[in-house]
Amino acid sequence: MQGVIGAFAELDSAVHAIEDLRKQNFSDITVYTPTPRHELEEAMQPPKSPVRRFTLIGGLLGVTFGYWIPIWISDYWALVVGGKPVASWVPYTIIGFELMVLIGSLATVFGMFAVSRIPRLTTTVGYDGRFSHGDYGIWVPVGPDRMSAAAELLRKHGAVEVRNER
Amino acid sequence: MATLVQPRPDEPVQRPNIASAGNRLPAVRDYEQVDRDIIRTLQPTLGWFAALGIAILCLLIGITAWMYQIHEGLGAAGYHPPVMWGVYIVTFVFWVGIGHAGTLISAILYLFRAGFRTTIYRCAEAMTVFAVMTAGLFPILHLGRPWKFFWLIPYPNWRLIWPNPKSPLVWDVFAILTYLTVSATFFYVGLIPDIAVLRDQETNPIRKRIFASLSLGWRNSDKEWRHFTRAYLFLAAFATPLVLSVHSVVSFDFAMALTPGWHATVFPPYFVAGAIFSGIGMVFTIIIPLRKYFKLQHFVTINDLDAAAKLCLFTSMVVGLAYLTEFQVAWMSGNRVEQEYFWNRVFGQWAWAAWIMLICNCVLPLSLFSQKLRRNTSWLFILSLFINLGMWFERFVIVVPSLSHEFEPWQWGSYAPTFVDYSILLGSFGWFFMWFLLFMKQMPIMALAEIKEIIPPKMRQPHDPAERVHDLDSLTLDPINTAGDD
Repeated sequence: MQGVIGAFAELDSAVHAIEDLRKQNFSDITVYTPTPRHELEEAMQPPKSPVRRFTLIGGLLGVTFGYWIPIWISDYWALVVGGKPVASWVPYTIIGFELMVLIGSLATVFGMFAVSRIPRLTTTVGYDGRFSHGDYGIWVPVGPDRMSAAAELLRKHGAVEVRNER
Repeated sequence: MATLVQPRPDEPVQRPNIASAGNRLPAVRDYEQVDRDIIRTLQPTLGWFAALGIAILCLLIGITAWMYQIHEGLGAAGYHPPVMWGVYIVTFVFWVGIGHAGTLISAILYLFRAGFRTTIYRCAEAMTVFAVMTAGLFPILHLGRPWKFFWLIPYPNWRLIWPNPKSPLVWDVFAILTYLTVSATFFYVGLIPDIAVLRDQETNPIRKRIFASLSLGWRNSDKEWRHFTRAYLFLAAFATPLVLSVHSVVSFDFAMALTPGWHATVFPPYFVAGAIFSGIGMVFTIIIPLRKYFKLQHFVTINDLDAAAKLCLFTSMVVGLAYLTEFQVAWMSGNRVEQEYFWNRVFGQWAWAAWIMLICNCVLPLSLFSQKLRRNTSWLFILSLFINLGMWFERFVIVVPSLSHEFEPWQWGSYAPTFVDYSILLGSFGWFFMWFLLFMKQMPIMALAEIKEIIPPKMRQPHDPAERVHDLDSLTLDPINTAGDD
């Protein structure tokens, strides 16, 4: 992978650079930011995160398992008390709820890891430690033909440093 | 979350993404200062070593007492019929309760967008995880044969008989294990971006490698943040009803029994309110010395403490209402045993414990109606110690008087903890603070990334200060006023 990385000290400069890059049809841009900012998100216009699907599926599996296990236990060794139902859903709601939360939460974290592609062993090309500290970074993956155009655009918007990386 | 503002009428339409966050922490100028001021707290100091030494000493006293108890039997702990639940179960409920404020502050207040949580939630979350770890020891300490602790886990015995899923003790296992797992997960997920900051700033190669592993290769990219913020929101949404459910389930351990004083439908909300109240008390006990010792008053502002104190006052009043409701239900029930029990609790055998509870939990917190006292950190710290004491005695008053004063007079008895109980109680504080002290020297005690969200970012084109009028958050707090701060 090759491209250009630009470091910005100011948020508005980074936002304007992203807007301009998108206008110039530079695609697959990655923005590094020390903290999530709505301004950057609006400029990037990303699709909705699919993490919610993992949450829903995990929660449904959890609640199903949470009801199934005590019902199965009750039927496996029935304790018949005064004509009361062997499997009683009211107390089993507690176990159903707890397992919904447990498996739903773990599925959410698993989903976040999966779609974010973490854990990863190395930080990728273009990443710089300053992007967790205070600066914003814009990574533009481009071929050699458009590299200088991308670098020029980043400089024009006030990048404090622009580097070609591969 | 960063504050969104309405655009000014004269603002250019083609640039809708320019930030204009309200300034909640006026003494914090930029992101670099956030990292610098908070990461410097990771340097070990003489005071830290002294505190850790005291915590380990307390833990060793507790371990020694436990060894003695294993050798001598549970009788060494002061148990004798009819009181077979004592300090251990009291302390178990106490620590589970302490563990509630962390998730309340990190999850519920996150969903409600309560700004004052930002600087205190990391400490509260750490407190939650370590408090639940401490609580989890007590069912084991309470066993005559602790090496059989795994029998608590719901799995079938050699005759393939499973534990009864209608038993509150089985619900307890599910609830506590879920709470511990979800709280620890929530805590770790929130730490990942901050560990990445430590990784990027660390110069020691070994520590850098450890932080790199723990941060899972986090890069602060927009995609990672997008999935992270969604996942964090869903975790908060799961954790919120979980907070309410766990202490409700703990209360079922009592409420499902027919014992006088326990068999009450008010128990679940009563326990939840008490748990949150005690947890906020412990947050004050920890955060007030920390902010003073590390000179972090510009992060944990007096406004944040004021807001937390209001929450403390509210939960204190809910707890007070629950106490009154218990008496009202006993009075109106026409049940002589129940009435006799409550009379005995307040004016009889256990009056001393009940009045410690009432004064610490219901009377002293009323002082928080005074804004001057809410903004006085010395008073808040002293009050928090009384709240911790009062909430431990609340659980004592629930557990011991009921067992010592059941239906028939021949069943009545007394209970006095021995030095073993006190030593193990002391040891639990040593265990809790040992983990907390070790944590605070390895990880940031405040959430770097979330604090950066409420700091106005650097801008090339500074904005008109009048624009802040659009930011409702800045109107609700007066960040300049720090009167009463130390």
